[in-house]
Amino acid sequence: MLAFTFANLKMMARNRQATFWALFFPLLLVVVFGLLDIKGVGSPNLVLVDQADTDASKLLRDELAAIEFLGLEDAQISESAARGRVADGDLDYLVIIPPGFVDLSPRDTTIVPIPVTFLYNTRDAQRNQLVDGVVRNLVAKVQPANLSAEQALPVVSIEILVPEVSYFDSVLMGLMALGIMTSAIISIPVRISTYRNQSILKRLLVTPLPIWKYFASEITAHLVLAMVQAAIILSVGVFVFGAKIHGNPAWLFVIVPLGSLVFLNIGFILSAWARTPAAASGMGNAVVLPMMFFAGTFFSTDTFPWIFPDLAEGLPLTPMLSALRQVAIDGAPLWETWPQLAILAGWAAGTAVVAAKVFRFS
Amino acid sequence: MDTAIRVEGLVKRYGSFTAVDQVSFTVNRGEIFGILGPNGAGKTTILEIIEGLQAPTEGRVTVLDLDISRHRNEVKARIGVQLQSSAYFDYLSLQEILSLLGTFYPKRIPPQTLLEQVGLLDKAGSYVKHLSGGQVQRFTVAAGLINDPELIILDEPTTGLDPQARRNIWALIREIHQRGVTVVLTTHYMEEAEDLCDRLAIMDRGCLLAVDTPRNLISRLKAAYTVKLALDHPLTEGQMASLNGTVEFVQELDGNAYLLRLKGGPSSLGKVLDEMVRSDINLERLEIAPVTLEDVFLELTGNELQD
Repeated sequence: MLAFTFANLKMMARNRQATFWALFFPLLLVVVFGLLDIKGVGSPNLVLVDQADTDASKLLRDELAAIEFLGLEDAQISESAARGRVADGDLDYLVIIPPGFVDLSPRDTTIVPIPVTFLYNTRDAQRNQLVDGVVRNLVAKVQPANLSAEQALPVVSIEILVPEVSYFDSVLMGLMALGIMTSAIISIPVRISTYRNQSILKRLLVTPLPIWKYFASEITAHLVLAMVQAAIILSVGVFVFGAKIHGNPAWLFVIVPLGSLVFLNIGFILSAWARTPAAASGMGNAVVLPMMFFAGTFFSTDTFPWIFPDLAEGLPLTPMLSALRQVAIDGAPLWETWPQLAILAGWAAGTAVVAAKVFRFS
Repeated sequence: MDTAIRVEGLVKRYGSFTAVDQVSFTVNRGEIFGILGPNGAGKTTILEIIEGLQAPTEGRVTVLDLDISRHRNEVKARIGVQLQSSAYFDYLSLQEILSLLGTFYPKRIPPQTLLEQVGLLDKAGSYVKHLSGGQVQRFTVAAGLINDPELIILDEPTTGLDPQARRNIWALIREIHQRGVTVVLTTHYMEEAEDLCDRLAIMDRGCLLAVDTPRNLISRLKAAYTVKLALDHPLTEGQMASLNGTVEFVQELDGNAYLLRLKGGPSSLGKVLDEMVRSDINLERLEIAPVTLEDVFLELTGNELQD
C-alpha cells in the first residue's frame, strides 16, 4: 500500500499540468485579493446601553439610529455583555449612557457629571475617528444648550485592543479550503473515470491486491497533496501578502486533512456517475462552484437572503471554513473547534458509506 | 495429462441475455489453448470468469486445481492476465509499473528481466503512451508475467496490430510456452489460431461448437479442397444440378462467383471441368485451395468469421 501511495504521489508530481492548475486557481485568487487590499465588505455595528432612560437618552438613540451607516442594533443587552462583545472583536462600537444623563428641563443644576462612555475596537482607526466625532457631537447636541461647561457631560473614549483582522486574513482561509475542495472533488472522479475507461481498475482487480488498499493509497496521496497545497497557499498569503494567522498554524493542518477526506469521498461518489473524464470534471465543478459561494468562502453567509444562511449550515465546506477561521482569525485552540470537527467527521463517515455503496469498477 | 483449467456447464446470463450457454472444456497444462470466435461470442466473458472478475450464473470452474468461487485470491496470485485494451498508469515508467504490480504478488520476477524478455529494456524509463501498438502489447504481456505465473491468459493479444508486430507477439507467446507456462488466448484471427494454438475452442453466440486441434478440426470436413469459380453468366438451375454430383455448393459470391467444395480429392477436379464444358459453363477464373479453419468455422456456424 505504501508503494502504491508513493506511486500515486509520483504520478501527481509528474502530471504537472493538472497539479499546476489545481493550485493555480486558488493561488490566483490569493494574488487578486492580496493586491486589491479589500477592507472587507462588512459595515460597522453599534450598541447603545441606556442606563438613564430619559428623554435625552432616547433622543440620542434616535439620532444614532438615524445614521444608518453605524448599524445600531435594537437588542437590549447588559453593559458587561456588550463590553465582552467589543473585546471579542464582535462589536465595533459601544455607547454607554450613564444613569442621570441630563434631564432636559434642568431646575436642579447639581448634576454629577458622569461621562458617556464610548468604546471601540482597534480594527479601523480611520473609521473610529469619524465615529468618535459623530458620537461627541450628538452627545453635545442632545444636552440643553444653556448648560455651563462644567455641567455638560463629557464623552470618554476607550479604545479596546483587539487582534487586527483584515478581510484578506479571512478570505485566505476560504481560498485554502476552496483549493483543497476543488482538487479533491474534481480530481478523484476524473482519475477514476479515466482508470475505468482504460480498464486500469479491472487490471488491479485481477491481481491479488485487496482493493481497499488501492483506495487507501489514493486517499493518502491526495491528503498529502492537500497538505502541500494548503502550505503553499498559506505561505503565499502570509509571506507575500502579509496575512496574519492568529492561532497555531499547526491546528490548520489538522483541519485540512479532515475536510479533504470529506471532499475526496464526495469525489468517489461523483465518479460513480461520471462516464468520461470530461463529464467528471463538469460534475465536479457543478458541486464545487455553488458550494464555494453558499458556504461563505468570500462573504459571510449571515447577510444572505431567504433560506441561504440555513442552507450554508448544511454544506460540508461551512464547518471546515468555520473551524479554520476560528483558529486563524480568533486564535482559538483546536479543541474549541470540536463542534465543527465533529460535524466534519460525521460528513466523512456518511460520505464514505455512500461512496462504498455507489462505487462501480466497470 | 494434468489439467490447468476445467470449465463445467458454465452459464452466464445478464438479465434475459445469455452471454455464455452451457460451456464445458478443459485446458491441459503446458499447452497453448485458443478460443476462437467473432466479437460477442462470449470469449471475454469466459476469461473474466476464469480470472475471477465475474461470477458464473451456473457451472463450475477450476483453475490449477482450485475452485475459483472459493480460492479466488490464490488463483489470482498464480495466474497472469492480459486484459483486452487495458491501459496502464500514464505517469509511471514501464519499470515503475512493473515494480508496482510486483508488490501485489507474493512471488515476482524483476522488472528488468521481464523487459529484456519482451525486448523493451531500452524503454524501461519511458511512459506507456510513448510506445508503439506492438510495444504496448508486448509490455502488457510482460505485465502478465510479473508474478511468474503457471498460466497466462491473453485476451486478443494481437488485435489491431500490423502483421509484423503480430508475428513478434506470436514468437513471444511461443517462448513463454516453451518455458512451461500454459497459455490461454482468445482471437478472431484464423491464422493465429491455426499457427499458434495446440488446441482450439470454437465459439459463436455464447455456445461452444467444437474443441480440438486445428488439424483435427480441418480434417473433420469431408471435402478437403475449396474451389472458387468466376463465370461470365450466372449459373442456371440446370447447370447447377449437373455439377451437383462432383461438388457441393457452399456460397454464392458477388459477380457470378461461387464457392464450392470438391466432393473427392484433387483429381476429381478433372471431372468437374469436364462437366462444365458439357454444360456450356464459361469459366473466367478458377481458384483451388485446401480447406482452412475459416471453412471449418463457416461449416459450424453458417457465418463467416468477421474481422
